[in-house]
Amino acid sequence: MSLVLIVLPILAGCALFFVPRSDRTVSRITGCVVAAITFFLPLVTGNDGAISAHWLSRPFTASLHFAWGGLSFWIVLLLALCTFCAILATNMPQTRTMIALLLMLEGTMMGLFTARDILAFALFWDLMLIPPFFALVGWGEHRDTAWRYLIYNFAGGLLLLLATAAFGVIYGSTDVIGTGHSIAGAWAPWIFAGFAIAFAVKTPLFPFHTWMPATYSDTPPPMVAVVSALQSKGGLYGFLVIGLPFLGSAMAQWKWIFIIASLVSLLYGAYIALVQTDAKRVVAYSSLSHLGLIVLGIFSFSGVAVQGVLVYIIAHGLFSAALFLILGYFEEREGTRSLARLGGLGALNPKLAGAFTIAALAALGLPGLAGFAGELVILSGVFQSGYFWPALIALIPIVLASAYMLRLLQDIINGPQVKDIPERTDLSWVEGLAVAPLLAALVVLGCYPHAVTATAAAFTAPLAAVQPQAAGTLALTKEQHDR
Amino acid sequence: MLFVIWLVPLLGAILCWAFGPQLKRAAGVLGSAAIAVSFIATVASWGAATQNGGTHQFLFSWLRGFDFGLLFDPLALIWVLIITGVGFLIHLYSVGYMWNDNAVARFFAYLNFFVFAMLTLVLSDNFAGLLVGWGLVGLASYFLIGFWFFKPSAVAAARKAFVINVVGDVGIMFAIFMMFSRIGTVTYAGVFANPHALDPWLFWICVFLFIGAAAKSAQLPLHTWLPDAMEGPTPVSALIHAATMVTAGVYLVARCAPLWSASHDAQTLVGTVGALTALAGAVLGIAQWDIKRILAYSTMSQIGYMIMGVGVAAYTAGVAHFFTHAFFKACLFLGSGIIIHALSDEQDIRLMGGMRKRLPVAFWAMGFAVFAISGCPPFAGFFSKDQVIYGALEHGYVWMWAVGLITAGITSYYMFRLFIVTFFGTYRGELKPEAVGIAEESSSAAQAAGSSVIAHEHSEPHGHENGHAPGWIMAVPVAILGLFSLVAGWIMAGQNSPWARFFASSFPREALPPATVTEGVTSGIAIAMFLIGLGVAYMRYGTREALANAPARLKRESETLPAVLVNLYYFNEILDWLFVRPAQALGQFFGRWMDPHFVDGVVREIVMTNRFLGTLMRSFQTGLLRAYALIVVFGAMCFAVYYALEGAMR
Repeated sequence: MSLVLIVLPILAGCALFFVPRSDRTVSRITGCVVAAITFFLPLVTGNDGAISAHWLSRPFTASLHFAWGGLSFWIVLLLALCTFCAILATNMPQTRTMIALLLMLEGTMMGLFTARDILAFALFWDLMLIPPFFALVGWGEHRDTAWRYLIYNFAGGLLLLLATAAFGVIYGSTDVIGTGHSIAGAWAPWIFAGFAIAFAVKTPLFPFHTWMPATYSDTPPPMVAVVSALQSKGGLYGFLVIGLPFLGSAMAQWKWIFIIASLVSLLYGAYIALVQTDAKRVVAYSSLSHLGLIVLGIFSFSGVAVQGVLVYIIAHGLFSAALFLILGYFEEREGTRSLARLGGLGALNPKLAGAFTIAALAALGLPGLAGFAGELVILSGVFQSGYFWPALIALIPIVLASAYMLRLLQDIINGPQVKDIPERTDLSWVEGLAVAPLLAALVVLGCYPHAVTATAAAFTAPLAAVQPQAAGTLALTKEQHDR
Repeated sequence: MLFVIWLVPLLGAILCWAFGPQLKRAAGVLGSAAIAVSFIATVASWGAATQNGGTHQFLFSWLRGFDFGLLFDPLALIWVLIITGVGFLIHLYSVGYMWNDNAVARFFAYLNFFVFAMLTLVLSDNFAGLLVGWGLVGLASYFLIGFWFFKPSAVAAARKAFVINVVGDVGIMFAIFMMFSRIGTVTYAGVFANPHALDPWLFWICVFLFIGAAAKSAQLPLHTWLPDAMEGPTPVSALIHAATMVTAGVYLVARCAPLWSASHDAQTLVGTVGALTALAGAVLGIAQWDIKRILAYSTMSQIGYMIMGVGVAAYTAGVAHFFTHAFFKACLFLGSGIIIHALSDEQDIRLMGGMRKRLPVAFWAMGFAVFAISGCPPFAGFFSKDQVIYGALEHGYVWMWAVGLITAGITSYYMFRLFIVTFFGTYRGELKPEAVGIAEESSSAAQAAGSSVIAHEHSEPHGHENGHAPGWIMAVPVAILGLFSLVAGWIMAGQNSPWARFFASSFPREALPPATVTEGVTSGIAIAMFLIGLGVAYMRYGTREALANAPARLKRESETLPAVLVNLYYFNEILDWLFVRPAQALGQFFGRWMDPHFVDGVVREIVMTNRFLGTLMRSFQTGLLRAYALIVVFGAMCFAVYYALEGAMR
């Protein structure tokens, strides 16, 4: 069944090229129906939808093996939801083409997140670059950005492929995600290095982030919503399902590099977000900061932190997608995203301002919304694992986040109006429907993250081997899981 | 019943928010009714809170150690009574105050949401739930300070309040990390069972919790947001920035009494901060002219007293002062709101005067409250303030006792200054601002604010086109609060008072050596301080000669105020230079220079020196974009097809 998740959106995307270029209705309905199918399919089938076909036997075994169990389940739901919302929110010249690209993006990323074979994972890792690349070529403001995005990420993908090949040769098979045991030996750290750089570029992690701000600010809103919400999770997902189970000892060996890089990302992103004048760049740099927190959580090897990581992965996907869509609405209405030229828009767009407020508050970690649950649990775990200073330093960006997010929020919706625009329309119901599910999910997950944390057991199992303290938290997690 | 108390205000908020356009002024009735229901439910479940150590209700768990639930015990009961009781009166008053504001439904939605958030804070049975409430009241405060969001000053004040409160939030977060990693739980029951299990971090846990308390309760040096918060509508100042939210820090320390009782260093620290804040706030109160800002500094000072009380382990005394303060300070704010309303948003007391005849209800109610806050027996503030000051002595802090008494005198002086200048003499509103010493710049700033209001007629705060609300709707709550300013302290008189019995089993008790000065002597000195303050204020402002020459005297005083007081000890500037400017400079440095030129520069350098990529980049620069796009995509496709075929052939 999981093949449907991959093939259906891609085929639907291709098919849309046969409807007229100027079409809106048919494309939107097709897109929404496809996204809805991919959302409900994993929910209703009740199994993990595994499908497997033999692929390679030399020099190592590989299969086209896909399933949506474990962490994949939540990410698949998030991806389908974000795609649905992005398609609803698409309203631009050539809506049809954008929706086709969004569907193709969904299909390729479904492949990435359901792959049970590392080679298949690596394949989709590169394929998923194509739709955003074309979106950047077609709608981007600077041609340079598209190339930078592609080259940077392809370079990462190349390393990933090399590491995968080395992994396959040593381990004998790449059809291993969700199973298997840790590998050791002299090669392990280098294999891990290959994976890790690819993941760090994708996440992105300082200092591999420089492709990201331009990409996020140039890509049209529906596309960037999905890219920021999901593509960045490819690297984190890789750390969780490939790094921890198979290369745990290598990760532990190099952990300080990543802890420091994640702390630098946290602070660096937050400080830069504080002074950006382009609304989308504020969110882009805040993403750098937030994702640094997730990397910190992963490299603390704490069972508690990993539960928080899962919550925060979902939470970040939800609020960054919502923020980019909403900033897109403002840009569409005002024709600018310069904070200096926006202002006072709340009075005439109360619903839009309300939605924006919820999204911004989730991003700054307001208690009661999902971002806070993730932060609190991640940092509790980090601290519990004995990382006193990293946990303390990671609190600074939380204060900075409130400053830059409120600056973004208030500069756009509050204050006197910068210019007079007589006719302005508040959120239409389609636009509202496009962000409402994201915001609702933020509230639900913020009050009750247990649904997500319960699936963490599978990822905390390998931690015991890596870090002695994790043994206690492992038992704790399992009990939690049984409850 | 507990859920009724807790969730009905949330329901009210949601209804006011969702049906705002339909409800219009009826939102006020709905919002007030929600709080009334919550208050009645609280009174009805009195027994549930006071018997057997209270009621406990499990809600849900995030993961082990993060269990959420509700706890309704005597300490929570007192707070809930004030939140819903005083909260209801303020809601009622707001119906009148916001009568002509177009966004009245939004106002009541926020106000109800605040009550819900505050109830979450005090009813939670664990630190994580407390932190949720803590953040949500901060949010409600942010919304309400920035309620008139077209005023840049209100917007800036809202942001400042929120960010400083987040500093407090992360303090509590860090305390949670320490507790969680030490004993694996964050519930009150688990943490308080054996405070010494937290050693060696017990003191630091108290410190980080107190960072949260200090930010929320406007203690030094995190107090600078509170005076700015007066940008919000006056009922908001009364409810959030006087009676309830800002006392959350007092609640936190009282709630954590087992921790404070186990750490003497924490007691000294918190008591010291409280005493200094009490004094510093009172001194600033002398030099203010804006009626709401005087009250804001007095709030800061009075909360300093409470913090000092609970800090030095005189928990019942600190909570007692919270209880009486809620009445008299809410009364003062609401009374000043009546004046501000009557004078079309004038807040400078130099332009008031003679209000006694014109606004008798405000005069009498505020009069009671002024006597209460100044510590005149038998008004409420006398009993509670006396307990706090004596509590400091009893627990061995003689200097705090002395500071408390001095502050009492200053308080008496600046409150009677406010009272006399506002209510006696003749009305000065028709005079030119310069005649009473209002500097040019501030009056032009006021004009600018006024013009921005005019520019936004659709949401003008107080238009007069719709007539006025019935007069009683604002007068009755003020009168009731004035009455309570008199009587609320009577339950606290004496050694074995009902108040002391109520909290008999709530707080840890210590065996104390007899104090060097008896309570009677302390009371005597306190009354003397009250009389001195009153006397000085009368001599300066209240004599017949002073009232006759009021404009000239006020002008002279405005010109001779010490710069350090006018500039609020330069706290804003210091915090700005220490934290805000460095952060912005760092952001500019990282964003303008380091990111594009260094981090990205290195990457570009590597790419360019690589021959293959270099060629690629050069060709790209010659404009072969589309060709390359095709090549890349075809490459990827070939790759995919090759492997798919190879798989299929087997």
